[in-house]
Amino acid sequence: MAQTNVLVAEKRTETGKGIARALRRGGEVPAVIYGHGREPEALKISRAELDRILAAAGASTVIELKLGGKKLKTLIREVQRHPTRLDVLHVDFLEIHAGEKLTVRAPIRLVGSPEGVRNQGGVLDQVLRDVEIRVLPRHLPESVELDVTDLTVGHSLHVSDIEIPNAEILDDPESTVCTVVPPRVEVEPVVVLEEEEEEALEPELIRKPRVEEEEEAAEAEPESGSPEQEG
Amino acid sequence: MLAPKRVKYRKQMKGRNRGKATKGNTVAFGKYGLMSLEAGWISNRQIEAARVALTRTMKRGGKVWIRIFPDKPLTKKPAETRMGKGKGNPEHWVAVVKPGRVMFEVEGVAEQLARRALQLAAAKLSVKTRFVMREAS
Repeated sequence: MAQTNVLVAEKRTETGKGIARALRRGGEVPAVIYGHGREPEALKISRAELDRILAAAGASTVIELKLGGKKLKTLIREVQRHPTRLDVLHVDFLEIHAGEKLTVRAPIRLVGSPEGVRNQGGVLDQVLRDVEIRVLPRHLPESVELDVTDLTVGHSLHVSDIEIPNAEILDDPESTVCTVVPPRVEVEPVVVLEEEEEEALEPELIRKPRVEEEEEAAEAEPESGSPEQEG
Repeated sequence: MLAPKRVKYRKQMKGRNRGKATKGNTVAFGKYGLMSLEAGWISNRQIEAARVALTRTMKRGGKVWIRIFPDKPLTKKPAETRMGKGKGNPEHWVAVVKPGRVMFEVEGVAEQLARRALQLAAAKLSVKTRFVMREAS
């Protein structure tokens, strides 16, 4: 069962960007809660508390939301961040019910140092960071562990190698999770001739210029046009 | 150096570069990244210099992703030419970058080395940058 974090939220009646901006200026973050069998509700949360939770929580961390005397079990569905400042702009919470199966993306954690990295100088490349699973909330894993100790250069682990008790994996079993790629070979700098550089600067045009066609048309027009004028 | 293989038109207008990056603004492939904090044009020479700085600093380890591509041609008139007589010839290729764009990503090295490598790569670029890490999912 995933670790539970507690967060205090307050309902808000006013919505819109002006209100949202005012909240952010006051050290709070606008949020929304929705889920099966409930109407979406606008909330506000303390930014400091949220940052503390987000530092540790992932997509499959159950968060206990204290809302008006009630305690709701939720998951973070989406976190919107500012593109450069990276501070949180808005959070979506999904209310979960004990008897209802959830579809979540659980993070994959690679355990151990691969053989190919230790002894063959390879680089571990993790292609898939999370896996979609269908699971009851009480069996929700904090993360999915995958042992990579025996992985050698050129070999991969796939979704089919992941085992999660009491959960159904929805991703394609043949999808690659991680692979050990051979070490990069530094290519000797090639002396580029000026002609080659010129060529590189002038790429091929997808649509050929119609200069010749236009010239031909221009030449043909006066010839065909003059007899009509005379007549 | 990076350049398009085929283009529809040889020359482009300058255009305006406003707003923030709405796409390509998260670390998507590696673990660490270099984010632009300014809008600007990054030339293919700068991208190549940054790539060399990255790979040399990381020696043989790690993997590098370049997430920008120079697909905009810049033209230049020859020296000592009078004004007029049409637009100059294509000379450079640049990538148009907005604030928030993650330009380079690395993986397979320790955080300290990744920071150092991306710092050296950032010195080759004409925009202010920030070291960013993948968000816990």
